[in-house]
Amino acid sequence: MTWSDSHYSAIKISHTDFQMKMEDMPLSGPDNTKLEALVHDIYSELVEDACLGLCFEVHRAVKQGYFFLDDTDQESLKEFEIVDQPGVDIFGQVYNQWKNKECECPNCKRLIAASRFAPHLEKCLGMGRNSSRIANRRLASNNNMSKSESDQEDNDDLNDNDWSYGAEKKAKKRKSEKNQNSPRRSKSLKHKNGDLGGSIPSETYKYNYNTGISYETLGPDEVRSLLTTQCGVISEHTKKMCTRPSLPDADAVVESDSFDIPDRQSVMSRLQWEDSPDISPADSASSKASTNHSDSRMPKKKKKTPLSLNSVGGSGGGGGVGGGGGGGGGSLTGGSSSSSQSNISLSTKKKRPKLQAPSISSIYDDLN
Amino acid sequence: MFYPVQYRGWTVCSPADPSRQKSRQIMSKDSQMRAAINQKLIEMGERERLKELLRAKLVECGWKDQLKAHCKDVIKEKGLEHVTVEDLVTEVTPKGRALVPDSVKKELLQRIRAFLAQHATL
Repeated sequence: MTWSDSHYSAIKISHTDFQMKMEDMPLSGPDNTKLEALVHDIYSELVEDACLGLCFEVHRAVKQGYFFLDDTDQESLKEFEIVDQPGVDIFGQVYNQWKNKECECPNCKRLIAASRFAPHLEKCLGMGRNSSRIANRRLASNNNMSKSESDQEDNDDLNDNDWSYGAEKKAKKRKSEKNQNSPRRSKSLKHKNGDLGGSIPSETYKYNYNTGISYETLGPDEVRSLLTTQCGVISEHTKKMCTRPSLPDADAVVESDSFDIPDRQSVMSRLQWEDSPDISPADSASSKASTNHSDSRMPKKKKKTPLSLNSVGGSGGGGGVGGGGGGGGGSLTGGSSSSSQSNISLSTKKKRPKLQAPSISSIYDDLN
Repeated sequence: MFYPVQYRGWTVCSPADPSRQKSRQIMSKDSQMRAAINQKLIEMGERERLKELLRAKLVECGWKDQLKAHCKDVIKEKGLEHVTVEDLVTEVTPKGRALVPDSVKKELLQRIRAFLAQHATL
């Protein structure tokens, strides 16, 4: 029907037009109620939607068979009820029940608090991770103490202030700084040539670590070997021993690793260990020292050499460790511990300034 | 010139009724306004937001659990195998409407009014 069609179009057009007009219309009484009714209608729609949603959900659950799954019998419900009493958690358990209890240790028969029981057992039975470490450390320190005492009586010169300042302080420091269980230790024990004999392993590390070295605690042989290979001066500030290798030729400040062999030969030819003790510092001292170096030294640059504490400071020559300035003579290897080889190679490269080791070797020479 | 649509309106069902044939019926200003507002509600996403808000509040206040328990009773009554959606709807909806707590109702009404005030000339 044309009439309705035209109406239709009229309505359509006026609809949009109506909207624009609506915005201009002011608030009026009847509209308010209508509006309120509208609001309620919208609200009811929303609620109905929610209800319908729930119905669909439940219906699906029923048809799929999982609707009644969460039903439990009264008995189990009671069992797992939430507990709300003081001193007890929601499951009804007392949570600090074992706080004040004490247990008797099966080993030492002491009464230990429950929370400390496990660590105590570890120490007591000697089976934990830390207990072996602590035991070893204690063992080492005890031996060190006893050895240092005997040394002090023998070597009066060791008490000389030049060498021993800071030694007392170092003695304690040494203990704590040594890592008794480090893998290095076992390696050095393998390499050592045996002069240490049955001596305590920790001694091999006395001059591995630059800190904590005390000349008083080292034997004369060891000190000599140590000082003929390295500078050995203990810094006032850091209390560290200088580990620069004593070079035979003070002028030849060579950085290369090939310093090794040529120097060795030159040194060997020059030096004689049996010369008089009153040598001038620096070159001659160090060169003297290096004469006695055994040939067992192996030219090592960065590798570890076998420990031979017997040999007096290894051979002459740079020991393959780059230069440093002249300083002492002698070279690396041999005397010092093997593991310090790499240490020394690093440290000497760093330490440019010359540190003199005045007649160290001569002093200890005399002792023999 | 447009004719204002001020014909005596027919009684129309609620604006959301899908069976309403908007294009065929002559609607009252009232229903047109409703339609417009509803349209705006949907277009702006406000309806969805309101729906979610209502659902959340109903769950929070325990309305859903209450109604579910009622559903259980209906199902047990009708028999698990034979219950239909219509059964549930007819049983549950009136109760559901009644069980909505006042606070929730008030808040929702407030929001709807606010929306209308903002987006429709009243």
